[in-house]
Amino acid sequence: MNTLTRVLIVDDHPSFRATARALLQAEGFEVVGEAENGVSALQQAKELHPDVVLLDVQLPDFDGFEVATRLTSQNGAQPVVVLTSSRDGSDFGPLVAQSGARGFIAKGELSGAALKAVLG
Amino acid sequence: MKRTGWAVVGCGILFSAIGLALVFTSDHESTPAFTAAANLVVAWSFIGCGVVALSRASDTHFGFLMSAVGLTWFLAALSESNNGLVYSIGNVLWAIPLAFFIHALLSFPRGYLETKLVYVTVATAYVILAVGPVLFQLFGENTGCSDCPANELIVVDSPNAVDFVGLIFILLGLFVCAATIWVLVRRWRAASAPLRRVLAPVFATSAIAIGVFLLAAFVSAASQTVANVLFWLLLFAVGSVPIAFLMGLLRTRLARASVANLVLELGAARDPESTLSALRGALGDPSLGLAYWLPDRSRWVDVSGWELDLEAESQGRRTTLVEHDGAVVAAFIHDSSLDAELAGAVSAAASLSLAREQSIQVVRQSESRYRALLNAIPDLMFRMSRDGTYLDFKGDRADLAVPPEELIGSNARDILPAEVAERLLRGIGQALDTGDVATGDYELTLDGVQRTFEARIVRDGEEAVLIVRDISERKQQEGELRSSRVRLVRAGDEARRRLERNLHDGAQQRLVSLSLALRLAHARLRDAPEEAERLLAGASEELAQALEELRELARGIHPAVLSERGLSAALEALAGRAPVPVGVTVPPDRLPPAVEAAAYYVISEALANVAKYAEASAVEISVTRQNGRAVIEVADDGVGGADPTRGSGLSGLVDRVEALDGVLKVESEPGAGTRIRAEFPCE
Repeated sequence: MNTLTRVLIVDDHPSFRATARALLQAEGFEVVGEAENGVSALQQAKELHPDVVLLDVQLPDFDGFEVATRLTSQNGAQPVVVLTSSRDGSDFGPLVAQSGARGFIAKGELSGAALKAVLG
Repeated sequence: MKRTGWAVVGCGILFSAIGLALVFTSDHESTPAFTAAANLVVAWSFIGCGVVALSRASDTHFGFLMSAVGLTWFLAALSESNNGLVYSIGNVLWAIPLAFFIHALLSFPRGYLETKLVYVTVATAYVILAVGPVLFQLFGENTGCSDCPANELIVVDSPNAVDFVGLIFILLGLFVCAATIWVLVRRWRAASAPLRRVLAPVFATSAIAIGVFLLAAFVSAASQTVANVLFWLLLFAVGSVPIAFLMGLLRTRLARASVANLVLELGAARDPESTLSALRGALGDPSLGLAYWLPDRSRWVDVSGWELDLEAESQGRRTTLVEHDGAVVAAFIHDSSLDAELAGAVSAAASLSLAREQSIQVVRQSESRYRALLNAIPDLMFRMSRDGTYLDFKGDRADLAVPPEELIGSNARDILPAEVAERLLRGIGQALDTGDVATGDYELTLDGVQRTFEARIVRDGEEAVLIVRDISERKQQEGELRSSRVRLVRAGDEARRRLERNLHDGAQQRLVSLSLALRLAHARLRDAPEEAERLLAGASEELAQALEELRELARGIHPAVLSERGLSAALEALAGRAPVPVGVTVPPDRLPPAVEAAAYYVISEALANVAKYAEASAVEISVTRQNGRAVIEVADDGVGGADPTRGSGLSGLVDRVEALDGVLKVESEPGAGTRIRAEFPCE
């Protein structure tokens, strides 16, 4: 049984955040919060202590990889970061691994099962 | 002496013997010694001169005529005979030599009869002098000679017939005399100086002979003693006429002696003018002209190098070609009276000198052409030594770094910047060592303006020739072209980035959400159909928005209405979406696709700028054709002050317009609105 159930969704597109929330909740995940940019993501991660941060690679203020690096290198409890993008993961080469993220899910393929598979 | 000459001499001796025998045995000759001497002197004068002329190939015809005069002179001696028939024949034939004499006189010195009048004159003379005495003999007894034999040829003794025949022949004789004088006077007046020198002795001796004859005829009535003296003088005067003929003919032969001097003079001649002077002296023709043949250009030139029409120059004159080693090298145009043999001898003697001068003329012509070619080249040219010393230059002094008087003799290191001078010297060394052309660009600041020069260095013996061209303008144009290309590439990259961003942020995100919503709806369809219905409704709305965004994007890439319905419809659509009223004037016929596209983007960008910055209340768009050009104008009544050098929008338009050889102008005085005008070639 996967214990990592508390999820923070970070994406600048409201429609994606809404759909992803409904999709993950239907699969048994708890969506503890939503952020529309990098600054908000870092802030909410600090306050809400999510188990998982579903982080879009392209944010209006920060690069998603940089946000992932900050989240995984901060002191204290570090959330598991899973990157998402509407592009294919191979477009980003080694950046996903170098950012400290656990994995990558293409937005079109997002589902509770896909997230569980990445989280192991 | 030729065989013909020997034959003439033989006949002359035979006729002389017969003539002397007839004179000295004559019963009716009162002065046999004088008559014999006179006949011998006159006849042998002509025979001798005739034989000499016969020995010259060019004077054979004339030789025959003079020999004929001499030989037929003895026919008059037949009238010395005591035999009536021989005496009568002598009276018939005595005038024949005069006909030959007139023929010789009128064909002198060319040896042939030149005009129809001369032909008629000579023919009339032959008729009068051959037929006249015959008629006299047929119709009249001899009078004035009581000791002479009777006329054996008389048919009717009719003084009236004799008078009538005499009158006819006096008239014809006057015609012959008048025509002869007319021809000779005209020939003298038309003659060139050399020809007059030939004609003068003949005319002079003939005139003297005629004058003495007339004088003796008049004086004989008063004093027979004086008349006898005059007849002796007449003897020598007539005898001198053929000698004068011969002198004229020999004048050209004697002139050949000057050919040897000509060779020496030509050897010393240093220029074509000296050669021309020597040739004129040798041929005695101050009007002689000289032409050189330029084989590479197939043209004749005169001594000054000017082109010459040899055919036109030769009108009424004679041209003698000069050959050397089998090739024509020159020609001299001279008086047609000049002896052909002499002209040929001079041609042979001068061939070497003229061949040499022809080569010089060829080189001069070639040099002249190259000089003209060099003058037509706007480049600067320098002749420089290996160590960088300027030896000579050609070009506009305004393009020089220093005045020309300071340049020659100076070294490149003292004039040019060190780096440029060193590169130049390396190039000179390379060209001199390898013989290859060395090239390079360098920059100089002249009168405060930086200019770029392109130098080509070629070897010329031990020196180098630099051909330097100012390529500043070309460099500037190349720079502008490069910048334009870079801007076009950047604009393309930027457009693609914008397109990708728009696709990613817009339609792609909506399609991702749509995909997730559909999957969620599918999962909830059985357990929560109401929620599934709500999700599907949201998905439908998402899909509609995605489609609209894709349409907008496609329109931005290339408006379909432009290619399908033309500029007019595309501009109407553009005007319809504009935030201010837009008036559109477009010609009904289509423009070339590239021009329509460029016009559309100019207007589209202009309208975008109006929306962003102009604060305008109205915009007028006009597209017209003017003198083979499409003219696009967009004018607004906004705040103006637009700067085409700032921002990528207008400069991108400049590149797009210039790519079609068009021109874009922006007038945007602050407070006076903005007017953008683009012109494209549009045949």
